[in-house]
Amino acid sequence: MSMGPALRYHLNVTLLGRGFLRWQRLRMASRLKKTRSHQHLAPPLATWPRLKEILSLHYLKGRYVSGHRKVAWVSSGAPVEPLVALGFYLLYPENHGALCAIRRMSEELMTVAEDAGYSRDLCSYVRTDLGSVLSGRSPAGNLPRPDLLLCCTNICQTVLHWYRVLAHHFDVPLILVDTPFLYRGATPHALAFVQRQMEDYVSEAERVAGRRLSWARLRRVLTLSRDAVELWARILAQGRQRPSPLTAFDAFVHMGPIVEMRGQEICVDYYQQLLAELRQRVENGVGALEQERFRLLWDNLPVWHRLRWFSELLAARGAALVASTYANAWGELASLIDPQRPMESAARVYLHPILNVGVGDKLRKMQGMVEEYSLDGAILHSDRSCKPYSIGQVDQRNALVRGLQVPSLLLEADHNDPRSFSPEQASGRLDAFLEMLESHS
Amino acid sequence: MMTFPQELPTRKQVMARHRGNGGRIALVFPVHYPRALLRAFGFLPMEVWGPPGFSTAEADAYIQVYACSVVRCGFSALVSGRLGSPDLVLVPHACDSLQGLGSMLLDFPKVECPVRPFYLPRAGGDAARDYLAAEFQAISRELEELTGLHPSGHDLLASQKREEEADRLLARLHRERGRMGLPSLDLYRVLRSREYLPAESFTNMARQLLHRHRPGTSAGIPLLLSGIVPEPMEILSLLADAGADLRGDDYACCGRRLYPPGSSADPFRRMAESLLAAPPDSLRGSSVQDRVRHLLQLSHGSGAKAVIFHGIKSCEPELFYLPQIRAALESAGLASMSLQVDLAVSLPGQVRTRIEAFLEALS
Ligand code: SF4
Ligand code: SF4
Repeated sequence: MSMGPALRYHLNVTLLGRGFLRWQRLRMASRLKKTRSHQHLAPPLATWPRLKEILSLHYLKGRYVSGHRKVAWVSSGAPVEPLVALGFYLLYPENHGALCAIRRMSEELMTVAEDAGYSRDLCSYVRTDLGSVLSGRSPAGNLPRPDLLLCCTNICQTVLHWYRVLAHHFDVPLILVDTPFLYRGATPHALAFVQRQMEDYVSEAERVAGRRLSWARLRRVLTLSRDAVELWARILAQGRQRPSPLTAFDAFVHMGPIVEMRGQEICVDYYQQLLAELRQRVENGVGALEQERFRLLWDNLPVWHRLRWFSELLAARGAALVASTYANAWGELASLIDPQRPMESAARVYLHPILNVGVGDKLRKMQGMVEEYSLDGAILHSDRSCKPYSIGQVDQRNALVRGLQVPSLLLEADHNDPRSFSPEQASGRLDAFLEMLESHS
Repeated sequence: MMTFPQELPTRKQVMARHRGNGGRIALVFPVHYPRALLRAFGFLPMEVWGPPGFSTAEADAYIQVYACSVVRCGFSALVSGRLGSPDLVLVPHACDSLQGLGSMLLDFPKVECPVRPFYLPRAGGDAARDYLAAEFQAISRELEELTGLHPSGHDLLASQKREEEADRLLARLHRERGRMGLPSLDLYRVLRSREYLPAESFTNMARQLLHRHRPGTSAGIPLLLSGIVPEPMEILSLLADAGADLRGDDYACCGRRLYPPGSSADPFRRMAESLLAAPPDSLRGSSVQDRVRHLLQLSHGSGAKAVIFHGIKSCEPELFYLPQIRAALESAGLASMSLQVDLAVSLPGQVRTRIEAFLEALS
């Protein structure tokens, strides 16, 4: 690597960027203290400015990283630890897609992709990402070009097609970790298959990185991953308290580090702070809602472009989303991570995310959450863009309603495409659902 | 000597005959699966590609409308009993929607018989082959329990070799389509009978056909079709009427299932080798580059001047690749058009107009 990019990186990130973001955090924190609280919601978490700082820093690094460090674009849920240990800068197009939707840019970007021939039937994360790639536009400034792509099929096959398109566009190598879908638990041959691919993955990543993997470093990264996953699980478990100190909307926003910064100290440090704050809230009896009347489960991805809308609408009716299968997915597998056996444990861990197990397993997960979080009902987001998460929801809803007498609503939307969402219809259905809950209580 | 395709038995007839002989029926969803394994246990595979034109009322109650019509029509036909009462349902993992369907049928049973979904590896190389061979072996153990039959390694290998012979002849029918003098619609009825005929019957029929030599006139515009399945099949006569000369296809259901023989002496490994060596297919995770290369080879080999991408609405695996494949074909001088159909509704008149306009522009 030449000196120019390194100097540019350190000047803009290490020297100026970090200082500026720290100053911004302090300013935001002091503003937060003076903010009048929302009519129905508790004041934002005090760690929020720190979250903003670390996420902004991540994207700032991305703006200047080319030529300084190798860049990999990775699918969420991919086994990233070897790349972290090899020093790659990682970009998660799905997280970036969510950011685009939160910042109201997804529609504009999807239109670019659709004009280039990508069908509106494709997942809206993909259309957002391809629109950003083709137009060069992003709320994060500009994204670094990848040197390598890493894709794991443990969330869907859509990511594989998406990464094939990216590999063709950028003309860079694609590492595929193919994880057989677990209709009925992991078989020895599925585990062996993933483990063999992990070994090939490491050699290819070393080739692109131009250096050998340090196994000691990998073990350290895995330990940090496991610590972060454990912390995340404990953070979410605070939602079992009554009143709950956080909602699923808080979890959706605060899951940035567990997805993007797994295996890094900064992720563990941040979650320690967040957990401490939530515990403080619990001790003081502070709930995320001014008044918590109903405790609900959210299934599937968030509707990123309407997070605030949903949060306020539900809060105004005293409905607290205290649990979600989506955020929970990132806290489930800590016990499977064994830093001493990196390859075997990677195979086991990355075969088991919620999207890689059968619809019956997902139902059992939801049923467990109903008990653990003392839930009054469930909202199942039928996400037009995410077939793997959504197909099977009708049976799951029926089982929740008939088996557990948990009122459940199937709500049509799209996580990133505002054009496939009708706020009038959604608020009408939510109102009717909450009225029904009221009559049950 | 048969006359084609009038004397082709229907699916119902084949099923009834097989049952009459004490055989079992396996309904199989798309796309790739081990035919030889099912046959070794006395199951006759009957493939479910839709079927088109039926009500999707049953699917409406369980599956969201944004799932494709292959899944929705297939599910409806299956649970309504319109496909008869199978002894087994096999659901290969071809895409996210079929994954959902397989998982649903397994965990929230809607049919009486056993349902066996299985994963198809998308990675390549020896690891994928070994995984798939082990998966076939696991299915074999389950079939032993289900049927009480215990075919030997030799039986399994013989069954695989019968399928390989049928596949070899199927590939010849594809390649030598011009000299049999069959109109496209008839030719595809013959080719697609591989979806339900036992390999032995298909092999006999193919041999007879390949003895025919009645080259037709190929005055039309030479083109290829690509997509999932040539349904509704009227599209083939519509193309012929509009002046197209169909020189080959890249349908997941047809041209992407021209499996070469395996080489191993182990039957499971051989089945896996054969399946994984099929032409590039997005449903097996092939790269854009491999699919472009294959389409270019097909067009050069057949003299096709254009490709019509005839997809299924909402079929993400196909839709993803289209812009890049079409751009690559265009730079190689091949014209293309794309149309998506919904099997649950009849072919809209607009499709005819678009095809006519496309062919007119080419001529
Ligand atoms: S939203 Fe669903 S379909 Fe899209 S990339 Fe994520 S898991 Fe795959
Ligand atoms: S048409 Fe496409 S989406 Fe539908 S089952 Fe076939 S491959 Fe899957």
